[in-house]
Amino acid sequence: MLTIDPALLAETDEQAQLRSVLREFFADPGADWHTLAGQIGVPGLAVPERYGGAGYGFRELAVALGEAGRALSPLPLLSSAVLATSALLASNDDEACARHLPALAAGTSTATLGFGTVDAEAGRLRGAVDMVLDGADASLVLIPGRTPAGLTLFACADGFTRRPRRVLDPSRPQALLEFHDAPATPVGPPGGAEAILAAARDAGLAGLAAEQVGGCEHALEATVAHVRQRNQFGRPIGSFQAVKHRLADLLVEIEAAKSAAGYAAACVDAAPDELPVAASAAKVVCSAASVRAAAEYVQLHGGIGFTWEHPAHRYVRRARTSEVFLGLPHEHRARIAALLGLDDGGANVA
Amino acid sequence: MTGIPDPASFRAQARAWLGTAAARRGETRAWGSGDDSVAVFENWTEDEERAHTERIRDWERTRYDQGWGALSWPVELGGQGLPPHYEGLYRAEEAAFDVPQRTEIFPVTRHLVAPAIGIWGTEEQKQRWLRPMLRADELACQLFSETEAGADLAAVRTRAVRHDDGWVLDGHKVWTSGARVATWGVAVCRTDPEVPKHAGITVFLVRMDAPGVTIRPIRQMTGGESFNEVYLDGVVVPDADRLGPVGQGWKVTLSVLAAERLDSGTLGLDNADRAIELARRCPAGEVQRDLAADLYIRTLVQRVIGLRITAALEAGTAPGAEASVGKLYATETMRRTTDLVLRLLGPRLVADTGEWGTFAWTEHLLGAPGYAIAGGTDEIQRNILSERVLGLPREPR
Ligand SMILES: Cc1cc2nc3c(=O)[nH]c(=O)nc-3n(C[C@H](O)[C@H](O)[C@H](O)COP(=O)(O)OP(=O)(O)OC[C@H]3O[C@@H](n4cnc5c(N)ncnc54)[C@H](O)[C@@H]3O)c2cc1C
Repeated sequence: MLTIDPALLAETDEQAQLRSVLREFFADPGADWHTLAGQIGVPGLAVPERYGGAGYGFRELAVALGEAGRALSPLPLLSSAVLATSALLASNDDEACARHLPALAAGTSTATLGFGTVDAEAGRLRGAVDMVLDGADASLVLIPGRTPAGLTLFACADGFTRRPRRVLDPSRPQALLEFHDAPATPVGPPGGAEAILAAARDAGLAGLAAEQVGGCEHALEATVAHVRQRNQFGRPIGSFQAVKHRLADLLVEIEAAKSAAGYAAACVDAAPDELPVAASAAKVVCSAASVRAAAEYVQLHGGIGFTWEHPAHRYVRRARTSEVFLGLPHEHRARIAALLGLDDGGANVA
Repeated sequence: MTGIPDPASFRAQARAWLGTAAARRGETRAWGSGDDSVAVFENWTEDEERAHTERIRDWERTRYDQGWGALSWPVELGGQGLPPHYEGLYRAEEAAFDVPQRTEIFPVTRHLVAPAIGIWGTEEQKQRWLRPMLRADELACQLFSETEAGADLAAVRTRAVRHDDGWVLDGHKVWTSGARVATWGVAVCRTDPEVPKHAGITVFLVRMDAPGVTIRPIRQMTGGESFNEVYLDGVVVPDADRLGPVGQGWKVTLSVLAAERLDSGTLGLDNADRAIELARRCPAGEVQRDLAADLYIRTLVQRVIGLRITAALEAGTAPGAEASVGKLYATETMRRTTDLVLRLLGPRLVADTGEWGTFAWTEHLLGAPGYAIAGGTDEIQRNILSERVLGLPREPR
């Protein structure tokens, strides 16, 4: 465990540059997919060159996700550039990758990955999967289908209906997809969906963690700026130790989140063996930090923080949505406990 | 009514009366159908707020007219002259009946403003205000906070200047809950800017329909508009509507705030009970069972704290620290309710599948933070506990 090269946890100059370009990009309310994909090339960052990508790694993509998370961008990076792209890459299906990845890397098409299952018979899908991230807009849907050979991943572009769900966080759209004998092609080996999904889920968790850290950083910065300039009792409220200590504690938690997220992002390319633990650890640590950061964002702004106009509530909505996405923190604790062999009272560990 | 009935027979009487005035709560809030709202702050339009207020008002009038409204108030004011905690006994009975759910403005009027009038009002004011307020004919909102005076309420800048036999008010109040349906606003104003801030304050009751009063709703993070900003531009208030002596307004304000703290002890219990019920109905693992049991313990203890206050009041002694911890205990209950529900519902909490009693909990999730800010923020409550109850030295101010 923890064999990662420390250098992978530091930001390179190139990454710093990407970060600053993206911070500016996402700060613009008109930030659009076309520019993000076509000009900055973000969805292709972690896609190998042979599939039309830029051939950088997941850490570069994580920089972009951090900035997207900071701005609560609704653009489909997590669904398309992380979940669907990772699933295709993990399938080792050269044909499927060659068919889909160039368009996903270029952003001319977007895809998503559904975690529920449908019935698959003779290349036709039947059934429904709910709460699919960006499911209403993605051009391509990857979905596990039950086949005689076991759970197999399928790619499906039409023959299904999409019903957008009302959501807590409108910047994170979800949809119910209903397949009515939808034509689909298998991705990866028959019966191979479980391994692909596991890999995609862990990459997704690493990506989600990067987003969560971005959101935390915004919440902390905005709150610090507010308590410095807001006066009550004739002095800045940030001068009260009750406030200072809480923000110092929050900083500790956010630095922990940053570390866990950075480790998970590095593991995707450099230490896949460590990824399962790293991804689950990141989920636990980053979810707690985000929920707390968003709560302090509201609370320390007082009445103004409880208004619709103020951005704080959007971070509350996102923090809670991320907390339950790809497994709840207690489920990831249980997973880690199992990976540690703690299931039978710790007997395995000794 | 003569003499004070013992609690058991009082509850039996209340139940009997309720049986004649309201329907038993049966199918109306049965699990799995009907209204699944757990809203902390309602997301109503102005018309809906008015309509709901009227419905509640009708019920409150019925109660009052039949002697079941202002229980702890003297008979002359339509009450029964019962000890204050009998209101709690009554409410425990009422919970079994299908009566409109009171919005905040009702307890604000009856439990915060009316008692302050009882303490500070002149005989004429008591005559004029108490009956209509206890009967909910007239509701009162709190025109306290301003943009520059929130936690530091004594920093209010709204000016009240003497003028003939009255006063002229100019200022801007914010976060006023219920302003659109209130008849009166209890306005904390600065009458003397020359003296130290706590000494220059006077409280007035302002008619919310007076010329110069402008109400603008503010949208909350829940999406609804249950608070407002209120502009006071040259609003003329007769001296007869001044509550308490000139320059004593801070003490008047403190009586309202103390009543508010006392009144917040039951906050969050309804939704916590419902979350525990949800845990009973959802397939729950070890983690959820533990959280649910813990939340149950909290609701139990929160109720016991209330009973200790009751016991003190019953014994005629002033309640001690237990009366001050209520609000902080309650806001934590609300947060833990969110935590439990999130663990029970998972993704169904954040996306609406149409399933009964799931996405509705977002209203609790988004509303609960409001109570850690409203009515004295959690931080101010902690300052009150540490300084007034524990007697610690004050922070430099
Ligand atoms: C849902 C809701 C309903 C409300 N209804 C009403 C109403 O009907 N009438 C009314 O008049 N007002 C109402 N309010 C306003 C409420 O009373 C104020 O928002 C509150 O007093 C805080 O003031 P503020 O918003 O100016 O925040 P600030 O005073 O600016 O406080 C910002 C943060 O700093 C903290 N802080 C301030 N001073 C200290 C200190 N000394 N030590 C530590 N921390 C400190 C606060 O606790 C808070 O977290 C309502 C507010 C809400 C959210």
